[in-house]
Amino acid sequence: MAATLKGVLQGSLADNVKNSKILVVGAGGIGCEVLKDLVLTGFKTIEVIDLDTIDVSNLNRQFLFRKEHVKKSKSQVARESVLKFNPDVDIKAYHDSVMSPDYDVNFFKQFTLVLNALDNRAARNHVNRMCLAADIPLVESGTAGYLGQVTVIKKGLTECYECQPKPPQKTFPGCTIRNTPSEPIHCVVWAKHLFNQLFGEDDPDQDVSPDTEDPELTAEAGQSALQSEAKTDEIGGIERKSTRVWAMNTGYDPEKLFNKLFRDDIKYLLSMETLWKKRRPPQPLNMTQLPSDTDGNSSAIRDQRQWSVKECANVFSDCLGQLKKELATQGDGGMLVWDKDDETALDFVASVANIRAHIFGIAMKTRFDIKSMAGNIIPAIATTNAIIAGLIIMEAIKILSGKIKSCKTVYLNRVPNDRNRLLVPCTLDPPNPKCYVCAPKPEVTVVVNCTRFKVGALQDKVLKSYLGMVAPDVEIDDGKGTIIISSEEGETEENNDKFLSDFGIRNGTRLKCDDFLQVYSLVVTIAHVEKLEEEKEFEVVGDLSELQPQEEQQQAANGSKPHNGGDKADGQCTVPCLNPWAVLTLSDL
Amino acid sequence: MAETKGSGLDKNNKYDRQLRLWGDHGQSALEAARVCLINATATGTEILKNVILPGIGSFTIVDGHKVRGEDVGNNFFLLADSIGKSRAQVATELLGELNDDVTGNFVEESVETLLESNPDYFSTFSVVVAINLHEKALLQLGGVLWEKNIPLLVCRCYGFIGYLRLAVREHTIVESHPDSALEDLRLDRPFPGLQTFCDSLNMETMTKKEHGHTPWLVLLYKYVQEWKKTHDGQIPKNYKEKNMLKEMIRKGIRQNEEGVPELEENFDEAVTHVNSALVTTRIPSEVQALFDDPCCTNINSESKTFWILCRALHDFVHNEGNGDLPLRGTIPDMTSDSERYIQLQNVYREQAATDMTAIRNRVHALLQSLGRPCGAVSDNEIKTFCRNAAFLRLVRCRSLAEEYGTNTVNKDELNMHLESEEGDDLLFYILLRGVDRFYDEYNRYPGRDNSDVEPDIPKLKTCLTKLLHDWGLSGTVKEDYIHEMCRYGASEVHSIASYMGGVVAQEVIKILTTQFVPINNTYVYNGFLQTSTTVQL
Repeated sequence: MAATLKGVLQGSLADNVKNSKILVVGAGGIGCEVLKDLVLTGFKTIEVIDLDTIDVSNLNRQFLFRKEHVKKSKSQVARESVLKFNPDVDIKAYHDSVMSPDYDVNFFKQFTLVLNALDNRAARNHVNRMCLAADIPLVESGTAGYLGQVTVIKKGLTECYECQPKPPQKTFPGCTIRNTPSEPIHCVVWAKHLFNQLFGEDDPDQDVSPDTEDPELTAEAGQSALQSEAKTDEIGGIERKSTRVWAMNTGYDPEKLFNKLFRDDIKYLLSMETLWKKRRPPQPLNMTQLPSDTDGNSSAIRDQRQWSVKECANVFSDCLGQLKKELATQGDGGMLVWDKDDETALDFVASVANIRAHIFGIAMKTRFDIKSMAGNIIPAIATTNAIIAGLIIMEAIKILSGKIKSCKTVYLNRVPNDRNRLLVPCTLDPPNPKCYVCAPKPEVTVVVNCTRFKVGALQDKVLKSYLGMVAPDVEIDDGKGTIIISSEEGETEENNDKFLSDFGIRNGTRLKCDDFLQVYSLVVTIAHVEKLEEEKEFEVVGDLSELQPQEEQQQAANGSKPHNGGDKADGQCTVPCLNPWAVLTLSDL
Repeated sequence: MAETKGSGLDKNNKYDRQLRLWGDHGQSALEAARVCLINATATGTEILKNVILPGIGSFTIVDGHKVRGEDVGNNFFLLADSIGKSRAQVATELLGELNDDVTGNFVEESVETLLESNPDYFSTFSVVVAINLHEKALLQLGGVLWEKNIPLLVCRCYGFIGYLRLAVREHTIVESHPDSALEDLRLDRPFPGLQTFCDSLNMETMTKKEHGHTPWLVLLYKYVQEWKKTHDGQIPKNYKEKNMLKEMIRKGIRQNEEGVPELEENFDEAVTHVNSALVTTRIPSEVQALFDDPCCTNINSESKTFWILCRALHDFVHNEGNGDLPLRGTIPDMTSDSERYIQLQNVYREQAATDMTAIRNRVHALLQSLGRPCGAVSDNEIKTFCRNAAFLRLVRCRSLAEEYGTNTVNKDELNMHLESEEGDDLLFYILLRGVDRFYDEYNRYPGRDNSDVEPDIPKLKTCLTKLLHDWGLSGTVKEDYIHEMCRYGASEVHSIASYMGGVVAQEVIKILTTQFVPINNTYVYNGFLQTSTTVQL
């Protein structure tokens, strides 16, 4: 098979292709295309891993799946579909997370090449580190709508996935969500939090009740609000018991829930007067006295029509009933997981977000738009994935020809650019010597308030979530080797609720952080500050020189130091987005 | 030619991720489309796959070939046990499995015989995609489709090279989705509704909260009026003047008792929007070109809806519009209390609705004068047209006959690429024409067998020399390019087919949805360098 290739793939290359062993990480939009392309290019030994199952909304592009495969394992169905067409290849499928400890550095070392076809940054970070540790070349890729990009990562030769800082994934301060929303997205986030509070996993970071610790509140204002809490307790109980328990006790009564969330809690917010000195104050709603329907625009389909407040309240009621039933089927202690493709779950969020938007005088949105916001939906189509997969294979072929140095980062534009180029290839950049992942001795500075920041937050928010570790061990570099975080279960859990300062960690303390799975060691230097701007809990600074005051930074930026991507062009590179990874970090495959 | 039943899946869910790109009306257009593929090679089936998945109405494969071993090697939609069977039939069956909502048909005949026996056969399709056609059949097919204004996409994958040519006489686009479009705010020429609303607001008498929540659009309007008083009724035009206006706005920020300026976000927003919002409202050159087009000036019973709409638009501009296009009617998000934001939104919406009604009346009058019913153009169509009035686009390709004609070949463009530095993608276009010439002489492609590669190099070189001579060009193509071309041996590499399958399908979708501007007219991809170029040939 693939006989026609002989002439094009010369001599040893054809053999290299045949004898290589490829790992494809992800069997979604790009993954399906890549698997097909590999087999038809003459690759014989392929392994594919994907944690996901097939959803109806995948079928418009993930061509190895049919409607009868919905809810089945992506990797396994992909394998079967490919084998049906080409039985004489060896494909192994794992329905699993690539971040599981089963896939250690020795697992990665067995491959000639790793091809990423992922949709999230955490997994990309992890595979990047595994390939660096195993010293295996990695082809990284992503698509978003009509846009896409491909690049090659090789230890010591090119930038790694984490060499350039990426724009942080957008989060909103808790008090904006709970007290002072000003954009539709704030209401959507609140609605999702409410779903989890009522039916899902309890997460203290997703509280939906008014926040009395809002930094905007003066001590006095907070105090008076606290005093008025006794009053609100009588009508619904703001903090007495958890929202979940309270809602269950009312039997998820729509009117009681509505009036607590949209009347009493709002009245309570109004009592925090400082918040509304410069803002338009919210207007509490009573379920029995809703503004009457005025818009007669009922001809449009439900998804794309703007619901009235009254309609939202009805949807809210119906959803509560439905979700209550669904929750009951989960048994004691069961919970629901919010899913953008679940009709009721989406209806709930759409109705709640719109009611809240109305209260705060924020533009209401259609269900179609809310789905996009709540689900972080990135448009995805077959054509872009096919194009990107073709590019991935061409880069793989170059690597197997021993021409890794001629590999490129390739950007796919939506339409040909001013120079009539649909594709923009750029030469690969060398590693960033200050990269906190692939530098020989990586270091990073974490800015926190040691007396207010807990060890548990250091583990979950800094090391795992921000710095991409999977199972970190942390030792204080104090000569005594105090271990504050251990990856062994049960060893250091009691430390999680203690503050960094409880262990003598202060400005300048060095922490040795290790992730054995990723074969990754990082020295974290703590910089203590009393307060970070924008209510941030912590800040990670890769390069200490970045800590210099704003003005100096401005000067440096205006000076000779080019922005990443600005100078690596093949004389024709107009990088479509400022940060070359912005597309990747968005992608949904 | 059995019809497949619908999948029974909710299309809103199945197509959710693409509806966000081209909308329900784009999807409806796709679902109404009939796509014809000539030759189910790997590239051909990849293209079809990528239009079947998003849900075209139906496809038809025209292919007289039987499946050969080498087809199975690079084509996902042929199986080992299909060798010897009709390629059209096998591919139709396997592609049909991709989407139950799409109907698949096939004709086991070569395009040459079909053109001879039934030249009208192709006239029922929305678009035709032709793979690996020889020059004679290609030009014949091109002529037939050109006559009927059916878009033809010619595609070919040859070694590491991908080639696409769009031939369509006229393709009109209402929703071109420009990358960055300025808002249509009319601050330079405020319409009466905007004037009345802004003039009704008195900044002096506002409470502190109202002052800080007055939309920046209103602020900008007011300061521009003030500016005009001292500048002959002109808006600030250049950088210096705009800076002066910004200074004026900053001075309008209220001060507290101690004389310190308050934090008023709306004023900051007004300052930042001076550059982007204060533009001269004018008719874009592309739209002016449409107005000047004979199709717009001479409306007749044959006129397409697009041209009738254009004519109505033109007449509106010169009458009710007072020289301007209809107002788009949308405003960006801004700091404001919701009451005044909604009022402002309505001011723009109402003017847009008024403009739209005027255009609708003109469309109906035109339709009547042509003896067509008013319902021939729906209100939604008119609304979309008005909203996109500034972004209307027209693509008219050169015909294949012109490209291939000795007297009409785009000699200058080709010569430029011939003489340019190494690595020019267009050299491969010349080489592709060269191997076609080679085929005409030897009835095979160069380097088809590995042993042919070396001896074929001088032969191909001769063919190229003749070709360039016919074009009246004196340059030559470097030997290593010729060698590379012979080495390819007309093989179809799957990764290139996958890539071009995506690119061509994307163009098909653009054409079928009449959204986004298609490539005009030739696209060449070099898989090894990962470069590509678009030119008009």
